[in-house]
Amino acid sequence: MSIKAGIGFRKDFAEEFLSGSVLKPGFLELAPENWMKIGGYWKKQLNQLAEMYPITAHGLSLSIGSPDELDMDFLKNVKHFLEEYNIEIYSEHLSFSKCDNAHLYDLLPIPFREDAVKHVSQRIKQVQDYLGRQITIENVSYYTPVAAEMDEATFITNVVKEADCKLLLDVNNVFVNAFNHNYDAKTFIENLPLDHVEYIHMAGHTKVSPSLIIDTHGEAIIDPVYELFEWTLERVNQVPVLLERDFNIPEMEEMQNELNNLEAIMTKKWEAKNVIENRNI
Amino acid sequence: MLLKTETYNQQSNFVQYCRDGKEVAILGTNPERLPHYRRLVFNIIKDTLETTFPISFKYIDTEIWDEMVYNYFSSHKCNDPQVWRMPKEFVDFCKAENYTTKFNLPFLNDLLYFEWLEVELYMMEDDTYPQVNSTKDWLKEKIAVNPEHKIIKLEYPVHLEKPFEAANKKGDYFLLLFREKETGKVQFINLSVLFTFLIENIVLAEKTLEEIFNDILYIFGINDLEMLRSEVFKFLEDLKTRGFVLGVHC
Ligand SMILES: [Fe+2]
Repeated sequence: MSIKAGIGFRKDFAEEFLSGSVLKPGFLELAPENWMKIGGYWKKQLNQLAEMYPITAHGLSLSIGSPDELDMDFLKNVKHFLEEYNIEIYSEHLSFSKCDNAHLYDLLPIPFREDAVKHVSQRIKQVQDYLGRQITIENVSYYTPVAAEMDEATFITNVVKEADCKLLLDVNNVFVNAFNHNYDAKTFIENLPLDHVEYIHMAGHTKVSPSLIIDTHGEAIIDPVYELFEWTLERVNQVPVLLERDFNIPEMEEMQNELNNLEAIMTKKWEAKNVIENRNI
Repeated sequence: MLLKTETYNQQSNFVQYCRDGKEVAILGTNPERLPHYRRLVFNIIKDTLETTFPISFKYIDTEIWDEMVYNYFSSHKCNDPQVWRMPKEFVDFCKAENYTTKFNLPFLNDLLYFEWLEVELYMMEDDTYPQVNSTKDWLKEKIAVNPEHKIIKLEYPVHLEKPFEAANKKGDYFLLLFREKETGKVQFINLSVLFTFLIENIVLAEKTLEEIFNDILYIFGINDLEMLRSEVFKFLEDLKTRGFVLGVHC
């Protein structure tokens, strides 16, 4: 398998993906919520893109941490979408975006508590049973804890283990949270169930004050996040890596440079690992 | 439920704060950081509505628009998991709250509805096109049309005029919106009452064009069949060029 990084698909540069003249991602990630149950122009574009690139799905509205019941109609549509486009990885955020039957369309922090671990894992299992596959849960960035009774790494680990799901490790989110909540990013990552990592996200962020970073996906990846990424790759299996860029979109050449940077690190770390492992055989 | 009431309460309070921005006690939160959530969440709603309703947003006084959006998000529970569909709920909310009267914007319901329909038609799932034959004589046949369309009635001509000018022209306005197959673009055409009757009957696909002509002559009290035919054929040819009329049903 060639080592290629993917990119989050945005309508702003759909044409670029179709022409493939500058941007050459290994795969595309998109939010099923924005693409399921649609037709017309964007459905055509999507069908063309699906012919050209493998697709991963990164959901927004499942709201796995919600106190509300799971929305089975929604899940049915997601399932149909995953099947229609032959999508192997369906990831969602370890957060909630809906409560008391109101959608907020953003990622809110789940209380890091034992009862929430049980509640969330049981919901993940329910989703996995319904979809007939494991899903991949992402560590999210958060700006304040809510009623926490355990640390974040323990919360994530317990959920992933209890639900027996996969982990999407967002390296930038770890960096952002480590900065915002004063913990050590590497210790945090070491405490996660790294054998469950199936997918990695990388992104840029915005420092809005001396003590706060907001996870905007609106800037280039900074060097300390590249370093953390490189360090992380030594500890996880070879998995797909995705570049997230949602705002302040730069020239395509600049985005391709970021993909190249990621691929260079992936190649360096994983090809070396493969060589060593092969020698051991 | 595995979730304890106390944990649920923290999540519920957190969400309520994000929706209305009113201070509320939430266990173990950083009070300086909370407002970022309110800002981020509210911006998603605001941006989505501004993008979906660019004309309304442009012409309605900013203070009024902001009040409408604030009231909507704080008191209405957005129900749709697909954020692009959420603005439909805003249309219904403003109507139910009678904002046309409250903010003295008579055109409001029509304009929001019209702007929403353009998005809905643009995005809606593909419909099955009928099997058509383009060579037969239209008169003896049932005309086939693009299934991806809507015929609506408005009280104010928000599709023809700027909103505050349309507000002075209350009446009955009929409008055909449809999605072009090739480009996916949404077109709209202002319809007379007679042409509305014609199109609605064509869409039903129960009668031949000739039978519809007979109904029109009777209902509208028209004597000049030749003139009617020539006007209708001109109109249908135009709709064919635009991609609404497809031909005749096989
Ligand atoms: Fe991410």
